[in-house]
Formats: sequence, structure tokens, C-alpha cells
Amino acid sequence: MKRNLGNLYAGPMILWLTVFFTVPLLIIVGFSFLRKGLYGGVEWQASLDAWKAVGTPNLVAVTVKTFVVSMVATVITLALALPTGYRMARSKRQVLLLLLVIVPFWTNFLLRVFAWMVILGNNGFVNDILLRTGLVKSSLRLLNTQGAVLLVLVYVYLPYAILPLFSTIDKFDFTLLEAARDLGASKLQAIVRVLLPNIKGGIFAAFLFTFIPIFGAYAVPLLVGDMNSYMLGNFIADQLTKARNLPFTASLSLLVTFVTTIGILILMRLQAAPERSAEADAAIAADYAAANGNGGR
Amino acid sequence: MYRPEVMKRIAWNRDVFTFSRIVCALTIGFLLLPLLVLAAYSFNDSRTMSWTGFSTKWYEKLFSGSPDLWRAFRNSIVIAIGSGAVATAIGTLGAIGAARYRFRLRGYVQTIGFLPMILPEIIIGVSLSMFFAGIGLKLGLFTIFLAHVSFNLPFVFLLVSARMEEFDYSIVEAAYDLGANEIQTLTLVVLPTIMPGILSGFLTAVTLSLEDFVITFFVSGPGSTTLPLYIYSMIRYGVSPVINALSVLMIAGTALLAIPLRKFLKDFAVH
Amino acid sequence: MSFGDFKALDDVSLRINKGEFFSLLGPSGCGKTTLLRIIAGFENPDEGLVNIDGIDVLPLEPNKRGVNTVFQSYALFPHLSVFENVAFPLRLRKTAPKAIRAKVGEYLELVQLVDHARKKPSQLSGGQKQRVAIARALINEPSVLLLDEPLSALDAKLRQHMLIELDSIHDKIGITFIYVTHDQQEALSVSDRIAVMNGGKVLQCDSPYEIYENPATEFVARFIGETNLFDASVESVGGGRASLSVPGLGKVLVETAKGPAPGGTAIFTIRPEKIHIDHERPDGGRSDLNVFEGVVEEPIYSGFQSKFFVRCGDATLKVFKQHASYQEEGPDIAWKDRVFVSWSSDDGYIVGPGSDA
Repeated sequence: MKRNLGNLYAGPMILWLTVFFTVPLLIIVGFSFLRKGLYGGVEWQASLDAWKAVGTPNLVAVTVKTFVVSMVATVITLALALPTGYRMARSKRQVLLLLLVIVPFWTNFLLRVFAWMVILGNNGFVNDILLRTGLVKSSLRLLNTQGAVLLVLVYVYLPYAILPLFSTIDKFDFTLLEAARDLGASKLQAIVRVLLPNIKGGIFAAFLFTFIPIFGAYAVPLLVGDMNSYMLGNFIADQLTKARNLPFTASLSLLVTFVTTIGILILMRLQAAPERSAEADAAIAADYAAANGNGGR
Repeated sequence: MYRPEVMKRIAWNRDVFTFSRIVCALTIGFLLLPLLVLAAYSFNDSRTMSWTGFSTKWYEKLFSGSPDLWRAFRNSIVIAIGSGAVATAIGTLGAIGAARYRFRLRGYVQTIGFLPMILPEIIIGVSLSMFFAGIGLKLGLFTIFLAHVSFNLPFVFLLVSARMEEFDYSIVEAAYDLGANEIQTLTLVVLPTIMPGILSGFLTAVTLSLEDFVITFFVSGPGSTTLPLYIYSMIRYGVSPVINALSVLMIAGTALLAIPLRKFLKDFAVH
Repeated sequence: MSFGDFKALDDVSLRINKGEFFSLLGPSGCGKTTLLRIIAGFENPDEGLVNIDGIDVLPLEPNKRGVNTVFQSYALFPHLSVFENVAFPLRLRKTAPKAIRAKVGEYLELVQLVDHARKKPSQLSGGQKQRVAIARALINEPSVLLLDEPLSALDAKLRQHMLIELDSIHDKIGITFIYVTHDQQEALSVSDRIAVMNGGKVLQCDSPYEIYENPATEFVARFIGETNLFDASVESVGGGRASLSVPGLGKVLVETAKGPAPGGTAIFTIRPEKIHIDHERPDGGRSDLNVFEGVVEEPIYSGFQSKFFVRCGDATLKVFKQHASYQEEGPDIAWKDRVFVSWSSDDGYIVGPGSDA
């Protein structure tokens, strides 16, 4: 009988993450039910103010907007990442393509955002070209717009979606696509009915890796957006650093945590769900089998 | 009658202009475009973004006139390697424990080894910031280090756990059978076998640490500037083309790092 | 079809009859799978024509060809049950659920898998997966069924069994089967006709009997069954019979009707089971008999038969002897025994001019 050393091995990790993850999270929960201190900080007095503030129309609007922007950005990202990951997995020059995706991915996040500031700025790359070619008379406002936020979010998180999709599709047996085609499926049908169900895991991973950070985005709207494109993340940061309203910061953070967790749970449920029609038909087939067993057709 | 040239055209259509090929080419072009633009502007003589002529003066300025930048860079390196090493040690042990043994807190380990990864960074940053303030710890390089170990730990745990899933436990039994004790089994058999997972965990941790802006932003104090924080202040409060030069060097550094690692890129993509 | 300078298929022309069980037989890399994939529509030849029922199918996508494939790896959809795998083609055509149920049931019954309809492919054994793949490929009622080494992943016993099953399915539904294999036993036992391929070319296309008994080339003789091959020079031809001189062995008589008319040199071959082996010199009265004296170098007993390697002069002959009856009478042929090997002149044949020609 081997000794159970699990606690010994995992001990340091349990300790570390309890202190620096679980406890801070609990503190946030606690703070969200306290009253705001006069000069930052909290007063040790129970209050629902911070939670009431979450329900104000202004905040509901910001939350909905953040959700919609995250959704749109994620869908665009996946729509680009899925064919890209597929092509990379089937390519003979896999390593080169991976390199071309990973180099931007490894390049500092802020520098990548900055690059778009250079491209979209009033005196930037695009406007420079437009002015020089005489297509416009004065520079267009491209930066600090909602469109810029969306574009840069997609740009920044594309590799997060491409890489898990690539690695899932790379493990996919492409003979299955040939089999589907052979059995009468068009290219699109083969993709939808055979490829997608078999790479569900990769799609969910890609969705999570894009949606969650975008939902909590802070730096991108701050740098390439304007006041109107502020997202929940910016709101939280402002409450913490400018308004110094700790309970409100806490309740907002929990709101984001809550939405994120719900999203994850829904996705997990979806992923685990069997295909209803397939199940039903299998049951019918079993009936058929039983009938046949008792006397045949 | 059958004409070969018709067949060639069909083959061409099927193989080259497929939808996925076009999207893949456009996507990769999209990913690379900003990097190329930065590279071009880094050699621009003008301070503005309008092209006036070729110059390497921003590179000179980067190396001779930016002591703050290099101080931030050094801070980043120290924190990345330090936090990466600590996270790798703790996370590896945790993964081994969770894979090999059933114990009371195993579910908890797996949950806290997963949750920080899927929560938005800003939540981790805000909660740690409040926590450090609450216990009266002065925000600075040390709090950045603590925060980085915390968000790196789950990644190491995940990567090593993935290795442990493929682990063949019969070699552990073989080691015991041949007279090895627990420590010897760990150091001579288990760790070498899962070394690729440990290494990729460490590299991921170092990369994430070097890269992190949001969490660092919330747990940093005066005088504890890391490279991302420095870049942020450059972008936000006074853009100097020095940053273009810096970008190009960092991109080149990334590429130089990626090329010798190209055989492992596929493993990397798995996470 | 060519890849760079390498031609995967070179000037292949075959006519396959309706309802035929047709095999493409050859070693790996001979082009048989490429040919199959061209018929299925997964690869395109640089030039050529594939005609099915009078229609040129090359411009057609794989899903429009009326041809279905049983893949080597089975290629069952892992996310679908056995039932749904077989129903897949019907679902694509939006067949009514009731009709799907009836038809899938019918085909599952054909392959005796009705009891496993609910299972996922991962829960099936190799033989069961094979049967799902066959049912799935047949449900579209294709005019041609392509089978790409369908039995290669099964163990030897199961392979025999599935082969018989395949044959009976073929008999039942009567469509054309094109069967790719590298296993000559499989091909010989079920095919109506076999095309033996090597290096992208079809070497011989004939019935199993003809392929075995009258191989067109040295390669075919070597690849199908076991045989003894010798380079020989032609001494004289006359009376429907050629006299060959085999270096190291001696003079060999062979009917000229067997194989191409010999030139200066020829490759001579004799199947091991056609050689008679005995301690006694056979009746010397027959003029058509080739007789050589030799020493048994290596006897291999394998139950129903024995194999001997007999050294005659500088040549070694492989000889098979069937154990038709209980051998108690007289001692068995043993190692180092001095024996006589003999065969009739119409049992050997010439498979082409000498290798230097």
C-alpha cells in the first residue's frame, strides 16, 4: 500500500492559491456588502449600496454593451480563426504558419495595441495614405471609436482562438471528411456535420479564451476607444483608482465573475449534451432490434 | 471527349482557391500587418507618423537615452524568471499530487488550479490590489512578484497535469520495485519523464509574466515599473518613436526565440 | 496521376464489368490506392478518363459519383452512433425518418449489427467497425463499392471470416466491388478478376486461376504465391517444347505454349507444389519429365504440408509436399536425405525474356 502523499505534494499550491486567490476573492465578496469609506477604504457597516449601484440604468447599459461587444468580437474572431486553424492543420507548411501566428501572439500586448494606434491615428498610416492619395481632404477619425475597439479586440485575441482550434483540428482524422463526401455530403455539409461536432472541444476552448478576456477588457477600450466605448473593465478600474469606491468596485467585479462563470457553465452543459435526434433514433433502432429478435421481419 | 486541361483547371480550383486558404492568408496578413507598420515607422526620421526619411536615430536613442526603460526591462526579467521558477516548482508538485493521489482537498486543488485562468485578469488584479491594501502590504516589486506567481501557477498546473495524464504509472512501480524511495522515484523517474511539461510550464509562465499588464497595473506601486507598465506610460502620456524601435527589437527577439523552438511550437499551441 | 517526376499511375487502362468482384493487387506504393482514390474522387489524375455506366465522372465531386468507399481505417464518425453512421447518407438527402429507420434496419441486419445500433464506434470491435463501414457504404445503393484494404486492420482469423462475409454480401446485392489489397490470398479467394499492379502499371489483369497458373511477368509469378525462378538460356525449340539450360541446375524442358516464345534468354519458373519429391528415381520412361537429384537442406514441417529446400547442383529448389494421407509407410524425407525432384514439362513456364533483355 503506497502512502498517500497527495497533501504533501499539493500543500504549497493549496496554501499559495488560498492566500492569493481564494482569500482576495472572499474579501471582494465581503467588501461588496460594506459601506464606502469617506476617503477610500470601507466602513465596517453592512450595506447593499454597492449592489444597488449595479442595478442603475447607466450600469445596466454598460453591462449590456460590454456583453454585446464581447459577443460580436468573439464571433468575428471565431469566424476568422476556424478556417485559419483548419487550413493550418491541413497545410504541409504547418510550422511556418504556426510561427506566423505565434510571433504576433508573443509580441507584447501593448505594443500590438500601439501598432493599431499608429495605423489608425489622425496622423497615422491609413490617414497618411488617404491624404497623400487625395482620397480625403482632412484626416478621418478612425482611432478612439467603437469600431477601433472592436477591430483591436479581434486582433489581440485572434491567436487565442486560432491556437486551440488548430491543435484540435490537427488531431482530427481528415479521412472522416472524405468519408462524408463519399457518402454524399457537399463540402459544407461535411464540415458542418462531421468536422464541427468532432472539434467541439476546441471551439469551446477558443470561445472561452476569447470571450472571457474580452468581457473583462480594460486596456484596449482605454487606449483605442472613447468615452462611449468604455467597457465594464474600465468602469471597475475607475471605481478603484479614481472614485476609490471599494464596495462598488467589489460588486462590479463580482458581476463580471458571475457573468463569466455562467457563460462557462452554459458552455460546459452544451458540450456535454448528447445530440437529441441521434439518441432518439438509437432508441428506435433498439426497438427495431427487439422486434426482430422476437420473430424477425 | 475528355480534355486534360479541363481537369487541370478543376484540380487547381479545388486545391488553391478554397475558402479556408483565402481566410487563412488574410488572417495571417492581418496579424502581421501592424508589426510591419511598426517596423517601417521605426526607421522614420520624423517624430510624427508622417514619413519624412530614413533614420536609425530612434534606435540610438533607445540604447543611449532611455535609462528608465532599461530599468523597467530589468525589473520585468527578474520578476518573470523569479515568479516563473516559483510557480513552476509549486505547480509541478501540485500536479503530481493531484494526478497520483486521491486526497480530501483534491477537488479544491483542481478548482483553484483552473478558476484563476478563466476569470478576467481585471478581477484578479482588483482583488489582489484590495487584498494587499487590506493586509497593509506596500505595493511594489514584491507584490508584483506575488501576483505573478499566483496567475502563473494554474498554467503550470494545467500543463504538467496534461503530461501526467499520459504518464505510465508502471514505471513508478518499477522504480519502487527496484528499490527507489519516494524522493528517488520523484527525482529520477517522475520529474525527468514529465520534464517537457515542466519546461513548457516554465516558459509559458515567463512569457505571461513578461507580457502581463492588467494585473501588474493594479498591484504596482511607485518606482516598481515593469516593461509593460513603462510601455503603457509611453503610449498614454507622450508617444516617442523610441517605442517603435523598441517594438521592432522585441518582435525580432520573439521571432528569434520562436525559430529555434519551432519544433515545439505545436506543443505550445496545445495550450 | 503524378507527383513531381514520380508517376503514381502510368498508362493504366481497365474495364471492370458490372457486378464483378474486381481486385487491385500489388505491394504498397504500387498505385492501387491512388487508382481507387481517383475513382472515388479524392484525387485528380493529370490526364485520363474514369467512366462509370457511360458517364465521365472525373469532373464530378466525390459526393456526386454514385460510388461509395469502405475506408482502410473505417472512417466511422466518432460522434455518431452506429445507427446514425449508417443513416448519415440518408440524413443528407433528408429522407423521411420512417424510411430511414426501415432502411438502416435492413442494412444493419445485412451486416448483423442490429443489436449494436446504439453504440458509439469506440465501443465496437474491429470486425464490428468493419461491418458498420460496409453497411454505411452500401446504404446509398452505389453502382460501385470501393474497398480500400478493408481487412488489413483485423487479425488473421477474423480476416478469413470477414472475407467470406464480404463475398456473401457481394453475392446478395450484386453490385460491382473494387477491392484493393496487398494480400494475394485475399485477392485469389474472392475475386472474379484481379489486376496485379506494380510501379504504377497494371502487369496482368485476369482471373485468379490464370494469374496463378499463367503469370504474365516475373513480378506476377513472384508476387502471387511462392515459386522457383531461374534465369535460363534457350538451347533449342521444337515439337512444341523448348529446351532450356539453367545455370547450376542443368537442362530443363518446358512447353512453349506456356509463356511467351523464348528468345535467347528466358526466365523459367516452377511452382513448389508442382514439384514431386521422392527417395526413388521416378519412372525414367517419360520424355517430358524433368528429373534432378539433390540433397534436402532444410525440411520445414507445417502440418498439412512440408516444405523442402533441395540443393541440386548449384541451384536450390523450393518444394512443397502435401500430407494427403497418414505417413507411416516408410521413413519421412529428412534433413540431408538424397532425393529426386521431378516435374512435368507442362508444369513449368516461362515468364518473359531474361532480365538482361
